[in-house]
Amino acid sequence: MEVKLFGMIAEKAGAETIAVAAATVRELRLAAEARIDGLAAMSYAIAVDRRIADDALKLDGNEEVALLPPFAGG
Amino acid sequence: MSTDKPHKKRDIFIYGPIDPAFVAESIAKHASRTDIGGHEIFLGQVRADELAAAQGSATSALTTGNQQLATVQAIDYTAYRDMANEQMMPIREEAFARWPITCLHVYHSQGVIKAGELCFFVFASAAHRQAAREAVAYVTDEVKRRLPIFGKEIVADGSHQWKNNS
Repeated sequence: MEVKLFGMIAEKAGAETIAVAAATVRELRLAAEARIDGLAAMSYAIAVDRRIADDALKLDGNEEVALLPPFAGG
Repeated sequence: MSTDKPHKKRDIFIYGPIDPAFVAESIAKHASRTDIGGHEIFLGQVRADELAAAQGSATSALTTGNQQLATVQAIDYTAYRDMANEQMMPIREEAFARWPITCLHVYHSQGVIKAGELCFFVFASAAHRQAAREAVAYVTDEVKRRLPIFGKEIVADGSHQWKNNS
């Protein structure tokens, strides 16, 4: 599935998206951390269908998924 | 003007800085609403912070080991726009549920906003000042905490650091 990247994470990956295979948010997290240097040491959240999701959530591959570094609005 | 109900999904983003004239026009639009007794406004402005360390540039003077400070020239804001606009809806609903406000308007900049320019505009109106004040304070804090907006602080030598509200 395609994963959207933002801010510092997009910068680290050198890309706006990456493609990973994952059946849960936890698998997605581990796959992304294996792909993006430094991600494992960062504070970030995973959004599934535009809501913050926890590791246990199952994925069927049709969701809109994004990795979100710390927020900085305002 | 139309009444400004909480359930409406709208785009809060403006490309570039928020023009003070836009703020003035927004106030003027409420002249016909004679049930309003007070407006409360928060305006966020990009601050020229002094950064003690920077990242992202191997050529930065900051990476050479001295303790020289670098001044933020601008913030380059990006956002997960669809999620931010969706996440704005419950914040609006919460504000309308908690305070008797007549309208609430929120705008945030995207793109490069220079130090001294406006990047964030929160505007609530109510019959009485207390409701407008408290709603603006709440919405300002919740937008900063809950909306996926990202800020790259750009310093004079071309290096940068990522802003973090947490």
